[in-house]
Amino acid sequence: MSVELFGLSFNPWADAAIRLQIIVGFMTVVVMGLIYAERKILARFHQRIGPQRTGPKGTLQSVADAVKLVGKEDLRPAAADPWTFELAPYFVFIPIFLGFVIVPWVQGWNVRILELGILYFVAISSISIVGWLMAGWGSDNRYAIIGALRAAAQGISYELPLVLALLSAAMIAGSFQLDRIVEFQDTVPILVWQPLGFFIFFVAALAELNRTPFDIPVGESEIVGGPFVEYSGIRWSMFFLAEYAGMLIMAFVGSSVFLGGYAWPFGEELGLPFQILISAAKGGLFIFLIFWVRASVPRLRIDQLMGYSWKVLLPFSFLQIMINGLVLVYDLPHVVLLVTGVALLGALFWVTDGIARRPLQPRRKLARVLAVQESEG
Amino acid sequence: MVEIVTQSNVSAGDFETQDLLLNVGPQHPSTHGVFRMVMTVDGELVKDVIPYIGYLHRGAEKLCETMDFRQGIGFMDRTEYLAAFNAELSYVMAVEALADLEVPERAQWIRMILIELNRLSSHFMFMGAFGVDTGVFGTPFIYAWRERETLIDLFEEVSGDRMMYAYFRPGGVAWDVPVNFVERVNEVLQSAEQGISDFDSLLTENEIFVARTHGVGAISAERAIALGMSGPSLRASGVDMDIRRDQPYLKYDQLDWDVVTGEYGDVFDRYYCRLLEMRESVKIIRQCLDHLKAGPILPEKMPRMLRTPPGEVYVRTEAPRGEYGVYMVSRGGNRPHRLKVRSSCLSNLQALTELTVGQYVADAIIILGSIDIVLSEVDR
Amino acid sequence: MTTESEEEQFNAQVGDHDQIWSIIDNALLGIGVTRELGYMDVIVSVEAGEVAAACAALRDDEESMFDYLRSITAVDNMDEGMEVVYHLYSINKKHDLTLKVFLNNDSLEVPSVTEVWPAANWLERETAEMFGIKFLGHPDPRNLLMPEEITDSFPLRKDHPLAEIEVLQGEGMGYSGEDA
Repeated sequence: MSVELFGLSFNPWADAAIRLQIIVGFMTVVVMGLIYAERKILARFHQRIGPQRTGPKGTLQSVADAVKLVGKEDLRPAAADPWTFELAPYFVFIPIFLGFVIVPWVQGWNVRILELGILYFVAISSISIVGWLMAGWGSDNRYAIIGALRAAAQGISYELPLVLALLSAAMIAGSFQLDRIVEFQDTVPILVWQPLGFFIFFVAALAELNRTPFDIPVGESEIVGGPFVEYSGIRWSMFFLAEYAGMLIMAFVGSSVFLGGYAWPFGEELGLPFQILISAAKGGLFIFLIFWVRASVPRLRIDQLMGYSWKVLLPFSFLQIMINGLVLVYDLPHVVLLVTGVALLGALFWVTDGIARRPLQPRRKLARVLAVQESEG
Repeated sequence: MVEIVTQSNVSAGDFETQDLLLNVGPQHPSTHGVFRMVMTVDGELVKDVIPYIGYLHRGAEKLCETMDFRQGIGFMDRTEYLAAFNAELSYVMAVEALADLEVPERAQWIRMILIELNRLSSHFMFMGAFGVDTGVFGTPFIYAWRERETLIDLFEEVSGDRMMYAYFRPGGVAWDVPVNFVERVNEVLQSAEQGISDFDSLLTENEIFVARTHGVGAISAERAIALGMSGPSLRASGVDMDIRRDQPYLKYDQLDWDVVTGEYGDVFDRYYCRLLEMRESVKIIRQCLDHLKAGPILPEKMPRMLRTPPGEVYVRTEAPRGEYGVYMVSRGGNRPHRLKVRSSCLSNLQALTELTVGQYVADAIIILGSIDIVLSEVDR
Repeated sequence: MTTESEEEQFNAQVGDHDQIWSIIDNALLGIGVTRELGYMDVIVSVEAGEVAAACAALRDDEESMFDYLRSITAVDNMDEGMEVVYHLYSINKKHDLTLKVFLNNDSLEVPSVTEVWPAANWLERETAEMFGIKFLGHPDPRNLLMPEEITDSFPLRKDHPLAEIEVLQGEGMGYSGEDA
């Protein structure tokens, strides 16, 4: 059995390895571009210029960063658990890169087409939480362990809405296979039928990526970088790389599932160059949204974060799946999906707004703590 | 996430949990200087906080006792570097009271304008730092610095220095303001007003910001008074106390402005009181500009070396963070026998433990931010 | 001790001093005081042992209502002992008071007023470490600003030696020694 690649035939394993290698190399470059883009875009949001000294318009800034990071001493705290500490970056890094296996960049450009592509993606990307926990535990640092436990709690809670949102899109497309979902959207993107699903996916993706406003595991201003607080040099840069690679894959999965990937609009007819352009534009839009959110909102607190996932996003995503099921079983027109989707999205915004503005009982938590102390003492 | 089991059918040994001792500071991005607090946390809940201060203690009071009255001005700047004009003002007013100096009209109005502008720049600094504490990546901070920069440029034009002005003198001010002072102040005020509105829309109306700050770190009016809080931190609890109005100094009694008070005394109110206070400051400065007439800036007969008769005086002014008091005892001669700086931040910081216990770790950070401490004023 | 012109000036600036005296006398019934006029407030001195009772009385009395403690500090008068100075304020009535306690150098002890105003906690700790005054009954008598192990050196006392650079600050300016 052999597979064709670049006009040559390969053993399937060798073929997959080569393709993955290409993606890893390509991604590293793209991630460096992303870091530069984030610095520049955030700078614009801040009304400053951003990097400008390294290379023309500061374009070599990421290279300078990389050189600096590689040149730094790879420190390990004396009391750290050596194996856990040193292996943790790989556990974060590798699952995220394995996720690239299923991404359909453009028609026919992917490592493998998996029938259960979405499920594979969800399963593999949640492994990186183990890496976070290892980093937190191995560092022998209290900030790190708090951050790691936060990451675990958050990762597990937001996995559910993320899966359900992807599932509802898969229901409409009738497949878990990513390129089929993309091709399903050559006339109308799923976003139109699933506006609620898209919103839930976007929020859950932000949480999965630990980006603002869900960056509590890192919590720069409270737990000083969380699990990464003791890392330096090359190991720290692996975490950093994984973060941006995760953002990239989330953006491309999101654009494939909800925005029609390379297919919509006219992707099927206009050929490869146009597909590359449109795929990159959609991924870029997704990433730009993430940057935009980062520049404008504060960080949530852990109880609000968990509450929002379990009490708001999860019921709404179940509701979406129920409606999808009704539409599909009774063969109702797709317009029903659009109407209910918009209505539910409105309801979700209304609920979110209500939560944000509800005056909390200020000393409630104190009373709880004191009660426990009394019962103990 | 953290659920405390209050009633359970398991025995105590089954789930043995331990409180975690979390040391925050003195090197930590959110302690606003070198401040250390040891938190006992149960999961994410704070059960106890012990603050440690003194890392920036330089003995300013003792040093001022070795300097003559004019040299002390420079040292006051260094106790309260974000609002140095306010700190200088308390000091020079104390010397004036002891030496019985009459301050000319023009100097008083210049002082009024500068301390209110300084209040603006200090509050902008708070807005930026507080935004970062709540977790916005940099945006409010850079916005705040942009506004503060225009203010500081103006201070530099007036005094020659960007932070440590040493511009007020016993009896008046060191030299007259630049000729285009009024236009420059108007310019700066315009950009500052824009900046205040920017913050209003960036933070006040932000749902997540509201969710993070509403009902967090609340303190009742009675406790706030008992703990000696002052300034916006006290007014946020609904206490209508502002020294500028209650015991007017300079020309505050001739102007039309309001004291801003909060309602719930939580973090949001402490933030919002400051924001509204900035608008009042703009109002005050506009009125001051109308009163600014040509005239002398120092009394006609100023001795070369200022000496005061024996006596003692406690002068308090409303600095951006609260009551900045100077207690000066003179035994005659050209230097104070004893100088005590009543720091508003020290008294406000005392409330930290009470505000923080029972809140989440993340809230402890924004509560500390909302008190708006300057560590060099706490430690002096 | 105050002259008539001083009294007039005080009346014009702060308000009728007789009225303030009567309020304070009422509040401090049974506690011996000496009194004088200050710059913007009146100054009352009480015995060291009575300070906590006096503070409680001043806070609780309905006319005086000194509910706000501004600061606590001390002044080192070298051979004449030390004085502990309390600056009080009433938020409702908007009047101030300076309360003083004179201490002899051989008994630097004064009751703590943390029970009356919790705000006194840190202020008393600072005064204690800087002047070596003992606040009896203080709930947490650790050092506040200085390292915890320094308990025998009191920097704000006048006999505390200055560093070389600190001595120089007032000298070489053409007037050193004039006011010694």
